[in-house]
Amino acid sequence: MSENSNNSDDQQVTYHMVDKKRKYALLIEAHAQDLYKYALWLCKDKNMAEDVMQEAFLRAWKSLDSLREAKAAKGWLFTIFRREHARQFERKQFQYQDVESMDTIADTKMGYDDSPEAFALRNALQKLHPDYREPLEMQVLGGFSCSEIATILEISNSAVMTRLFRARKKMRHILVHESAPELGLVRGSSS
Amino acid sequence: MALSDPHSGDVSFIEHGAECPDCLRYVGEVRQMDADLVASLDAKMPADLMARLQLNQELSDDAIGIPSIRRYAIAASVAVALFVGGFFLSNQFSLNTEINTDYEKLLAGVVQHMNEQPMTPVWENAQANRTVNALLASYGSELKLKQMDNLQFGRICPMGQYRGLHASLDTDEGQITFAYIKGEPLGDLLDVSYEGYITRVKPVRGGNLLIISRTQKSLEQADRELEEAMYWDI
Repeated sequence: MSENSNNSDDQQVTYHMVDKKRKYALLIEAHAQDLYKYALWLCKDKNMAEDVMQEAFLRAWKSLDSLREAKAAKGWLFTIFRREHARQFERKQFQYQDVESMDTIADTKMGYDDSPEAFALRNALQKLHPDYREPLEMQVLGGFSCSEIATILEISNSAVMTRLFRARKKMRHILVHESAPELGLVRGSSS
Repeated sequence: MALSDPHSGDVSFIEHGAECPDCLRYVGEVRQMDADLVASLDAKMPADLMARLQLNQELSDDAIGIPSIRRYAIAASVAVALFVGGFFLSNQFSLNTEINTDYEKLLAGVVQHMNEQPMTPVWENAQANRTVNALLASYGSELKLKQMDNLQFGRICPMGQYRGLHASLDTDEGQITFAYIKGEPLGDLLDVSYEGYITRVKPVRGGNLLIISRTQKSLEQADRELEEAMYWDI
């Protein structure tokens, strides 16, 4: 979790008393940037990422009264986003790019670092099986702990640990043996 | 543990790392890979998105009262509300950087964006118009959007070095694109052929309107309709 969402105990106790508009403003201020990175990566399209984010925040506003603790805000918001993304994905599949069509040019248009090393890392992440990729995205992009990921994905803590283990192992294997070994992104063995 | 949670605060994990140089080096590599991955996925959120997130909330309270609103109609309404409201509340949110007075840069940005996004969703028109009117009325101003039977969609998009409203109208001779880019209005209206398009750059309140068409006739039609419906207030 980011520092912004880790308020002091006093703040946690009184969070439910905060004015709704203030609570919403805090939600945007604390988590919009992290959520945008996550959204951009999931959507692979700036406009789509912004659309889904706007819709997710709209839904968050409407159900903000159900959020009682600041420390739960980020996980709650990401859950709303993931659901909204799933809905939009079903409706607008035509707007999504194939993994195969991803290239450095498209990455640059999204505002990503266009160095070969950065591209190789994104490519390796994209190659992971979704079951393994998802918790890793949540950990590195969302900053969630294993138990928070377990709650969001509705799986056990040990399942999250296993998936993260396999995700990183596969990432290292791809970077060492498949993607761009000459870049030297990972020096050691993949095993 | 190194691969599952390299930043774990688990005591046994940390203690083992302190005693085992090989493991410590391995954890360091994994952490470095994570850090590189995070850096590779870093992207700056558009400056105006924050304002739009806030605006959506302000508009949503009124939208809730209309049970059959569809999500994309809300999005259309927000975009058009920004489009019209921008003229009157120019300092409420910053949609883009200040525009350059170079006509070609404006045109290049819009046309480039059009070419990159040839597929444009078509929205259910009547509902979108109703929603837009409801939202505008609740916006606390005298604004009222006249019915636009041919409004197809609208959203805020990056267009070259600018950001602005990208929308389209259906005309007798096909779809035309128009864009409103907030900033300093240019001095004169300019009609020019650009990359196979008939284009018009038109200074309006708070920015510039660009109309991109395939024919002069559809451009004129679109301009006329926009002027009537949107109160351009030249």
